[in-house]
Amino acid sequence: MSQNERVQEELEALEAILMDDISIIYNDQGCAELVKSTIFPSTANEVEKQYVCVTLEVQLPENYPDCKPLIKLKSPRGLDDSTVDHLYREIDKKCEEYIGQAVIYELIELIRENLTESNLPTCQCAVCLYGFSEGDCFTKTQCFHYFHNYCLAKHLIVTEKHYHEEQEKLPAWKRSTEGFQATCPVCREPISCDVHDLRSSLPPKELENAQKFELTHELKLLQENMQKLFSYQKSKGGIIDIEAEENKLLLITNSSDDPSDENSDDPGPSIPTNITEGSLENGLLKNQRCFNRFTNNR
Amino acid sequence: MAALPRRIIKETQRLMQEPVPGISAVPDDSNARYFHVIVTGPEDSPFEGGLFKLELFLPEDYPMSAPKVRFITKIYHPNIDRLGRICLDILKDKWSPALQIRTVLLSIQALLSAPNPDDPLANDVAELWKVNESEAIRNAKEWTRKYAMDN
Repeated sequence: MSQNERVQEELEALEAILMDDISIIYNDQGCAELVKSTIFPSTANEVEKQYVCVTLEVQLPENYPDCKPLIKLKSPRGLDDSTVDHLYREIDKKCEEYIGQAVIYELIELIRENLTESNLPTCQCAVCLYGFSEGDCFTKTQCFHYFHNYCLAKHLIVTEKHYHEEQEKLPAWKRSTEGFQATCPVCREPISCDVHDLRSSLPPKELENAQKFELTHELKLLQENMQKLFSYQKSKGGIIDIEAEENKLLLITNSSDDPSDENSDDPGPSIPTNITEGSLENGLLKNQRCFNRFTNNR
Repeated sequence: MAALPRRIIKETQRLMQEPVPGISAVPDDSNARYFHVIVTGPEDSPFEGGLFKLELFLPEDYPMSAPKVRFITKIYHPNIDRLGRICLDILKDKWSPALQIRTVLLSIQALLSAPNPDDPLANDVAELWKVNESEAIRNAKEWTRKYAMDN
């Protein structure tokens, strides 16, 4: 059997088994170049219980199967880097073992077994940056991104509030008629969730056991270097002088009159209350005071 | 002030453990929501060789709302005004809680590589950038050399 026939036979078998779950891309000469398949854990067809997936891409060099194919794992969902690295190592072993024989179906099975074993998202929640522990309530979006219910609810409530505030600022004819559409924080795909249901969940477990913050020696050194740079640039006239620039622009500087100041009832964010006068001798304090208004003012 | 949210602590730790090339961000001694930042001017941009100081502040409801960021070092750029304010969608309506301090600063660095005079914040700079790009780039280089160097 010629090489091409061997590959052809393997691909036909794959198509017969996997049907629509596999796609084969041919080059101009009609030779198969790339085989793609998105793999899910086996959960007896219960799609809502599949928490992870990955797309396998197998590139077939000319002398495959007498050499190893080139493997890429794309769009891993619910899998962290170390899990993906582990998969790559397993795949490489399998390919080594199967030189001279059809390997693609073996790879798909290998990946599926691995996904089935670790069918719990090992990634972090993109909102709080902590992982998912036993007992945490979490949501898998239709786009396969993971959030603690608690975190996702916060996101949805705030974005919906912002949406309505922005709409109210617009003249009636410019307002959207479609209403608020929730989107995934990671990929901005539209998502649909029940906020009331989500918000009743408890905060993620890992949050409670997280370490406290401490200023390390390394940080101190970095701070000192930054301070030196600041002083040097200031001596060269390279630092923006907020007051002088404001006078040039004739801006009104009384922030309590500023209607765009969304935090007017809460001075906390714009004025770091625990910085005392003179603790930053370089004028940063002054800049910080104006800061909130500056960024809101556009 | 309420205790520092764990997410901020985690981001700070990661910024130290896995720093982003060309970017450093250090929390202030007395306010861990206030970061001192240095962004290096990207290669092959008029800002190459410059060290730009910025300040970044995480508001009370961060990460539900965007950090507030401003250039402290003078910079000649159509999307950054004389007060150092930055015109960048992810700092406004395109903010998402999946973004982080590191991704925001990377976006700002990318903005230095790709000025967009069609969406200006500094009108005079944007105007020159459109009618006479080479002169605008010369100015940007000049400002970088004059204001954004280390000794």
